[in-house]
Amino acid sequence: MRQSSLSRQLIAGILLAELACAALFAGVAVLHEMHGRRRAFDVMLRGRADSLLGAVQDVEDPDDNVFVDPAELTVPHLDLYEVVNPNGRVIGRSPQASPEQLAALAASVSSPTPEYFNLRIGQEHYRVLRFQGLRIIDRDETPGGLHRPVIVLYAAPTHDLWHEALEAVRFYVLAGILLLAATGIALVWFLRRRLSPLEELARIAGRVSARFWDFVPPAEVLRTTELAPIALSIEKLLSGLHQAFERERQLTGDAAHELKTSIAVLKSSLQLLSMNPRTAEQYQAGLENLLLDTERMEDLAVRMLALARLEEAPVERDASSDLQSALHRVGERLAAIAERRQLALRIDADGPHTVAVPADEAETLCSNLIMNALQHSSPAGHVSASLELQNGAAMMRVSDDGEGIPEAALPHVFERFYRADRSRSRASGGAGLGLSICKAIVERAGGTIRIQSTHGAGTEVIVTLPVVAAN
Amino acid sequence: MRVLIVEDETRLANNIAEALRERCGFAVDCAENGSDGAAMAEFQHYDLLLLDLMLPGLDGLGIVRQLRHRSDLTPILILTARDERATVVELLNAGADDYLTKPFDLGELLARTKALIRRGKGAPHPVLTVGRISLNTVEQTVRCSGQLIDLSPTEYRLLEYLIFRPRAIVSARELLEHLYDYNWEHHSNVIEAHISNLRKKLRAAGEETSIATIRGRGYRLESPEQQL
Repeated sequence: MRQSSLSRQLIAGILLAELACAALFAGVAVLHEMHGRRRAFDVMLRGRADSLLGAVQDVEDPDDNVFVDPAELTVPHLDLYEVVNPNGRVIGRSPQASPEQLAALAASVSSPTPEYFNLRIGQEHYRVLRFQGLRIIDRDETPGGLHRPVIVLYAAPTHDLWHEALEAVRFYVLAGILLLAATGIALVWFLRRRLSPLEELARIAGRVSARFWDFVPPAEVLRTTELAPIALSIEKLLSGLHQAFERERQLTGDAAHELKTSIAVLKSSLQLLSMNPRTAEQYQAGLENLLLDTERMEDLAVRMLALARLEEAPVERDASSDLQSALHRVGERLAAIAERRQLALRIDADGPHTVAVPADEAETLCSNLIMNALQHSSPAGHVSASLELQNGAAMMRVSDDGEGIPEAALPHVFERFYRADRSRSRASGGAGLGLSICKAIVERAGGTIRIQSTHGAGTEVIVTLPVVAAN
Repeated sequence: MRVLIVEDETRLANNIAEALRERCGFAVDCAENGSDGAAMAEFQHYDLLLLDLMLPGLDGLGIVRQLRHRSDLTPILILTARDERATVVELLNAGADDYLTKPFDLGELLARTKALIRRGKGAPHPVLTVGRISLNTVEQTVRCSGQLIDLSPTEYRLLEYLIFRPRAIVSARELLEHLYDYNWEHHSNVIEAHISNLRKKLRAAGEETSIATIRGRGYRLESPEQQL
């Protein structure tokens, strides 16, 4: 991907705009200058033509003809002129003019062009003035004099006009270019300086890593209207990430702790057994203990894997099962345990209620919740599980009148590896994953799970799952 | 010697306790949570504390701080499943003497336990001598001029406890507290019977060092040079 620099684009944009302005300014100046000079040129043209008219003299012949006396006339040698009388007879023309120039000039004598017009002869541009003049001669001999009308054509080359105009504007153009260069340099310096908070922000953000989470945007960044929202979002994002990262690290640490402890039990059991010679009975007892330890470790591994699978795997769209039958199956299976602990277990479910949970997960859900209730109840206690339809959703309540959960621990019970009372839970074999697994199962099916408990009076877990059509 | 194990994983605690009893002849008590452990450690009956780091109630670090705050000098060995350097440094700085990460080698745990107790009592070498008696804490044997003396486990433990504190008067009560765990009946005449057997065995081996009874105060291990 090609990188584009914001500051370079800005500088280029501003300089281009300035250049366009300068060019426009220079163009307008040239046009304005040209306009003024053209008008001055026309006035000058008229002056020269008038002096040409003044040079029309009486020939002193019987017809009282007139002619242009070159001796009376001083005009720039590049100018062309022709004076004709109304009959078309040429009474004077510039002596140095070439035949081609004269022919071109003569052609425009009778053309219906305006007084002033432009003419091109060969490579040269001319400005031409054509007017009808009146020369009065023999004022002394004839009262009122003799009227001799003439047509005067006077042309002067205009190539100097452009040259002079450009010369006059050159100062402005030079000043514009200098100004452009100065602004360019000033812009680079200014942008560098003003963009330094952005670079500082990038540097500070770049420092953040999985080990170093400190991100304190500098005060200068926070004072900048455009940068403050970016800095604040980065700060918010990073703090969220940091928390998630810490949670995951805590979880990995807890998982490692559980596994290492399990292995420590196994290893120490084996080493103890092999430390001294034992009797056959001692070996037998030791092996039985080892088997129990291994089963506990297996259970831990199974639960951790189940949770990982539930949290990672995509939801199977068409998996559904009847929650009622799952609850009854689990109730029957756990009846023996309840009896051994002298607890009254009551299952009270109507149905069937089909929910978007696979059959094995539905059983895990019911079993985890009821086992939890059984484990945290004292002998002669009551555990009940009920299932009913409420607002189009299956609502399952599992409650006990056991020891309850301390208020401080309540917000954490769904966290993985969390145990309100670790020694007690260890004695009953839990690793603090049961409720996390339940939460994962319920949330995958679009349901909710919540817990309410009074310390010393009992606990109730309420699961709500949307009912789906049976397939 | 008497050791307190504070560990919530009861199977692990039982295994360690069993190994300490079998291999070292120590009296061992177990506590399942931090608060119980801290309460039991307060009696100062113990020659070593074995603490798990993550405990319900008060955690291992909390117990260490509490003990050291009271200027309790009992050696502390920490068992931890977390081996992050920061945790270890924090533990040692708080006053723990050593640590082992789970899963550990039981043999290493026993060796470290014995080494810590020895160092806690100011003995650098595992073989302790008074007069002509030499007591090997690793083999748990007692020799007099190279001659092995056959002692019962309790007699060995008595002699071991006394030999760590030569010339000091040790009360019968202290001996009871440090040689028996809570599962035993506490009767000082048990101590007296064992002391008298120990004396007989030492005398039979021709050893001049003897255990004197200081009336009303306790017992003292005395070698001939001291009596002069």
